[in-house]
Amino acid sequence: MSQPAPREYQIECRMTFEPAALERVCQVVRIRGFEVTEVNASLQDTGWRIALTVRGSRSLDMLRKQLEKLHNVERVVADTTQRITQRSA
Amino acid sequence: MNGAQHILKAFQNHHIDTVFGYPGGCIMPLYDALVDAEGVEHVLCRHEQGCALAADGYARASGRLGVCIATSGPGATNLITGVANAHRDSIPMLVVTGQVPSSLIGTDAFQETDVLGMALGIVKHSYLITDANELPSVMEEAMTLAQSGRPGPVWVDIPKDLLLAEVTRPAPAPNQAVAPEAMAISAALELLYDAQRPLLYSGGGVSLAGAESAFRRLAEASGLPGVVTLKGIGNHHKADPNHLGMLGMHGSRAANEAVEACDLLFVIGARLDDRATGNLAGFAPGARVIHLDADHAEFGKLRAADVALGGDLATLLDGFTEALQARPLATQAWTEQCRRQRTLKGLQTADNEEALAPISGPGFIRQLSRITPDDAIIACDVGQHQMWVAQHYQFDHPRHHLSSGGLGTMGFGMPAAIGAQFACPGQTVINVSGDGSFMMNAQELATIRRYNLPVKLIIMDNQCLGMVRQQQELFYGNRESQIDLNDNPDFVTMARAFDIPAMRIERSDQIRRGIETILALDGPMLLHVAIAREENVWPIVKPGASNRDMLDASQQRQHPTTSKEITA
Ligand SMILES: Cc1ncc(C[n+]2csc(CCOP(=O)(O)OP(=O)(O)O)c2C)c(N)n1
Repeated sequence: MSQPAPREYQIECRMTFEPAALERVCQVVRIRGFEVTEVNASLQDTGWRIALTVRGSRSLDMLRKQLEKLHNVERVVADTTQRITQRSA
Repeated sequence: MNGAQHILKAFQNHHIDTVFGYPGGCIMPLYDALVDAEGVEHVLCRHEQGCALAADGYARASGRLGVCIATSGPGATNLITGVANAHRDSIPMLVVTGQVPSSLIGTDAFQETDVLGMALGIVKHSYLITDANELPSVMEEAMTLAQSGRPGPVWVDIPKDLLLAEVTRPAPAPNQAVAPEAMAISAALELLYDAQRPLLYSGGGVSLAGAESAFRRLAEASGLPGVVTLKGIGNHHKADPNHLGMLGMHGSRAANEAVEACDLLFVIGARLDDRATGNLAGFAPGARVIHLDADHAEFGKLRAADVALGGDLATLLDGFTEALQARPLATQAWTEQCRRQRTLKGLQTADNEEALAPISGPGFIRQLSRITPDDAIIACDVGQHQMWVAQHYQFDHPRHHLSSGGLGTMGFGMPAAIGAQFACPGQTVINVSGDGSFMMNAQELATIRRYNLPVKLIIMDNQCLGMVRQQQELFYGNRESQIDLNDNPDFVTMARAFDIPAMRIERSDQIRRGIETILALDGPMLLHVAIAREENVWPIVKPGASNRDMLDASQQRQHPTTSKEITA
């Protein structure tokens, strides 16, 4: 099956604190067909604030919905202004 | 009250009266508390995988939360397959494990494994307790979470020192069920009224949501033909003439062809799994899609939906039923056409009436279906026998059919039957197994004996890993590789060693007596059924191919192709 060219997207994710929070996010991103190319995360009084740049050929909306299913995730904002990445596959 | 006692208290608060577990070092405080606990029966299985699968079977048969318990390290790793099994089939499960004491975590202590990390991909959620006072809220949340929305396993890992530490915080009040989302169904109704050939496509989500009756009301009010997934078997009334059977790799031709021909697919509590859809490009090519599910992430995951509705299935289905009762569909001609196809291309083939003929797999299952009581629960393992059960047993309720769908776990059957028998002590529970699968959790014979469970065990013995052999024959040029089991133990002697009566049959004329004998006995019994090694499951869709390209017995020799993309 031919895959569309990979694109890069920005995702911002707010999560309440728990020990495996970051691992869960990374795991969902990976298993749903994306790779993390940049990450900026900080633990604040209100919980985790995680900014990710991810790259992949699958639907960003699917990834957003899967992240939203994580119990500790409060909000996911996925930037739909996609950029086609330089690197192919 | 210490942490361990608190956990048992939480079970009692949630009316959890049966748990499946196996003790060991780090979970010992909980086992100590069990000695004095009232109202909780602990079932000791003989392997932690057995515990998890029994908890799964308990939950599938009853709709209640399944609970399993194990120690750290090997106890926790042994649970993994069972937890993954529950995860893939959205079974509500609570997993409780002991962990090494807090101060030793991360020191590679004896029997330490990173349970939280290890289980990330196979749980709905998981917790590592870091303070005993977290236990009241975590236990409450975990039990609610496992059963709400799209159910699934929730794992609570508790360091031994915290099982012993005092809990000073009181348990919160049990959570109230979340109100279903109110959703507009008018857009979906418009598609339904527009369509010429709409088809119901229902899955395991129906019974998971407790929407069995709502589904049947809709099936009746709509008058539409319907197909089911493996986990949707039993959704339609057994006598529903519009039910075309299971679709997919081993589905009926009538079902697969209806999917191909329909112009509207009404998907209800199903996730469009690849074993059901075949190659997506050829799946329901001309159809628009209405998709109802508790899990929003299923919408558009594999096939775009024209209208997707999330929320409580029963409420949604009742909304449709009401509208369709007020203004019925005008699709009788299409339904008639599907009914004719069902007669011509359904799975009912004639039994071999010849007394001395060897036993055929489908023939045996059809007899079983005729003889067993209507409310019998049939658990099965994984392989050809599982597909024969799915194809040829007439189920009247989805909770009567316990089958490992998403994970396809060999060894599921016997522990699941054990769990089901605890959940439904008054019902006949039968496990249909293959000779390969049976050996994967054979130790649970001891559990059946210990609790004197009247579970009936059937082994359909073809002396090989039949499903793999079939695919090697059809898709790998008949090059058999590591599938031979002609050195199986004598299953009758083996059962007797566990003090379980057993008998063997090998001819068609022995089937009825064999089945009647195991059913009549007040207690467990094993029936060893010898069947032909060469028998195949028909029809079959080659993995990766379109459902349109089903093969049946007459085409057997024409497709000795090889393929790299097969997962048996
Ligand atoms: C734990 C596990 N290992 C391997 C497989 C792959 N597999 C699927 S069916 C099958 C053969 C099953 O043989 P048996 O239980 O004898 O049933 P039969 O197909 O002969 O009816 C195998 C090995 C699996 N599904 N599960």
